Amino acid sequence: MAEDSRGDSACGGMDGRQDPVPSSGGFNFPEYELPELNTHAFHVAAFGELWRGRLRGEGDLSLKEPLAPALPGAGGVSDSGSEDAAVARDLGCSLETAAELRAVCGLDKLKCLEEGEDPEVIPENTDLVTLGVRKRLLKHREETLTIDRACRQETFAYEMESHAIGKKPENSADMIEEGELILSVNIFYPVIFHKHKEHKPYQTVLVLGSQKLTELRDSICCVSDLQIGGEFSNAPDQAPENISKDLYKSAFFYFEGTFYNDKRYPECRDLSRTIIEWSESHDRGYGKFQTAKMEDFTFNDLYIKVGFPYLYCHQGDCEHVVVITDIRLVHHDDCLDKTLYPLLIKKHWLWTRKCFVCKMFTARWVTNNDSFAPQDPCFFCDVCFRMLHYDAEGNKLGEFLAYPYVDPGTFN
Amino acid sequence: MEAAAGLKDDCEALLSRFQEMDSVRFEDFTELWRSMKFGTIFCGRMRNLEKNTFTKEALTSAWRYFLPPYTFQIRVGALYLLYGLYNTQLCQPKQKIRVALKDWDEILKFQQDLINAQHFDAAYIFRRLRLDRAFHFTAMPKLLSYRMKKKIQRTEITEEFKDPNDRVMKLITSDVLEEMMNVHDHYQRMKHVISADKSNPEKSLNLIKDDFFDNIKNIVLEHQQWHKDRKNPPLKLKVKGGEEKSERNSQQSERCERAESLAKIKSKAFSVVVQASKSRRHRQVKVDFSDSESSQVQTKTTRKRRNKETLKPAGRKVSSRDRGDMQNLHKEDNSLSLSMPVVAEEDEENESFSETEFTAPKRRRKQRTKS
Repeated sequence: MAEDSRGDSACGGMDGRQDPVPSSGGFNFPEYELPELNTHAFHVAAFGELWRGRLRGEGDLSLKEPLAPALPGAGGVSDSGSEDAAVARDLGCSLETAAELRAVCGLDKLKCLEEGEDPEVIPENTDLVTLGVRKRLLKHREETLTIDRACRQETFAYEMESHAIGKKPENSADMIEEGELILSVNIFYPVIFHKHKEHKPYQTVLVLGSQKLTELRDSICCVSDLQIGGEFSNAPDQAPENISKDLYKSAFFYFEGTFYNDKRYPECRDLSRTIIEWSESHDRGYGKFQTAKMEDFTFNDLYIKVGFPYLYCHQGDCEHVVVITDIRLVHHDDCLDKTLYPLLIKKHWLWTRKCFVCKMFTARWVTNNDSFAPQDPCFFCDVCFRMLHYDAEGNKLGEFLAYPYVDPGTFN
Repeated sequence: MEAAAGLKDDCEALLSRFQEMDSVRFEDFTELWRSMKFGTIFCGRMRNLEKNTFTKEALTSAWRYFLPPYTFQIRVGALYLLYGLYNTQLCQPKQKIRVALKDWDEILKFQQDLINAQHFDAAYIFRRLRLDRAFHFTAMPKLLSYRMKKKIQRTEITEEFKDPNDRVMKLITSDVLEEMMNVHDHYQRMKHVISADKSNPEKSLNLIKDDFFDNIKNIVLEHQQWHKDRKNPPLKLKVKGGEEKSERNSQQSERCERAESLAKIKSKAFSVVVQASKSRRHRQVKVDFSDSESSQVQTKTTRKRRNKETLKPAGRKVSSRDRGDMQNLHKEDNSLSLSMPVVAEEDEENESFSETEFTAPKRRRKQRTKS
């Protein structure tokens, strides 16, 4: 595991400073284009290769569990002996020095708590500013809260983040390969509310570099996909027949001047054609747009900017902003099961609208011009809706318009 | 976030105390670590989600100090800090340290420097982190989500941890000196060539000083020496880090001396000014008669105001460490009598006159365009 100096490899611009760098086509070193906001465009697979080239043969890429260091004094003599030999070889020092290093740099040197001290309790007379802040916070919580435990949203958020960590697949063919890239993608919700001015809600999905764009498309759960068009007051039992997802299958992704259209089904139309024609009709200052098929491309094939907003459009006009926030190499602690990707790790918690009558179940129907309802529009769950608007035989009572309603919080 | 501010303070407290120790040994670091009980920074009944975010934040804060432009000692301290934080964290599985591609080559170079300088403990620690796979190899150091904040937070670099910004040294480098020397020789030769009377060398050559460059070199060397003496008393050099340290220090002292000497020569020049003619009375150059240290401090404010047209020497950054050593400076200045207006002796006036000649018009021109 020799560490040869690669400092002289021919790659420029690595001083870590964040000056705006003009984007050059073949330069796959991610650098800030706008400081702290986004990088210039680079090729994902080439970037991955740059990392793999630097780490190959060093054990950094391996997905097996790493070996724990031999503890000083404990463990077999042979373990520590061979480890010392490796250390001596890598650092160019003597065996005695290696043994000494193992003792001096052991983890026991970092212990700050005595035996029996609870790591949960903040020690007294501490100088650390962080602990002072935390102490005040804890005191405040003790004084104001009756029960101090995690609320549902916090538990939910933590579960989402960590439910897949370290999962290994049952079938070894589903194991992720070493050196695979993981992209972390933020997909924003399409609604534009004024209250979301500062922080628009989004969900975060982890996707593998070798996965196709269509796989990401299929994993995006948007409520507009489930909308059922049509007025069903006269035939409430026929309602859940045609959801929009089945009717309107077209969608596209827009990355760096190229529209990737979903063309898997014959019904899919090229939604991007309107935009391309519009931009070409006059000189609007946009470059030439390209089109491509979504199912032919994987994330490794893309040129993208990290941190830059792109677009996902489906159902004709339901638009989601898409931002790729991070690209990194896979690590042995990640979820290693290919079938679980794209993996949802963060979701915005949405409060669901409840039935106006029972206030318990999520609303499934919405009515307009309803003589029975106190407000227009009014939401009902399935049971209350039928009880109120239809008699025992199922005849329609009164005048009203009823539409099936899918609440955005359905995916919670 | 409050926690982030607290983390920054704590990391800087630890690193500045480590810097004061003037050592790069891990044993010294662990002494500090244990005395500050830094490992308890994770205590306090944090729930899982908060633990994760806090640990990520802690590792990011410590990581900043590991990269240039911080000094060598700070970077080694940051490496130890990362090792400590990574191993004392309470998250299960452990939060990793993010490394961006653009920083990796720099880090490998650092590792090689450590091995070459025989700082085996630091090299061992880095090797240990790598073997434990404590790193996430990423595109950029932090997640970028195009948050349009009202004010983009700039990362502030702690000045004390950097090498002092030696403007004088950046100005007078050996390249510059060599070039000036060449220009001087060339000029003299050209003058000789074109002079009408070959036997009698050109009178105008008397205006320029022959030993100008030797003077500058000496002055700059003095400046470096002064810089070195200005710093804390000489370090206890341990065997392992000995050679490397002394090398570094001598380099620094050389640079400091040179810089210092140059500053002196400048202040000397600017303390004597030419009486402006009547027509240019309104542009008479005034010299501030307070001591040079505070006059340099004033430089910044006057430049900003631009009301007075005073010629001031290029201001050094007056860091907090300087103040402690103002006594020394006073003594040295008095010995060269820079702070008082120079009573004109025959040759000295010529000297400074010629220097001011050279530099003053340039200054005036500059100021004219500015105003």
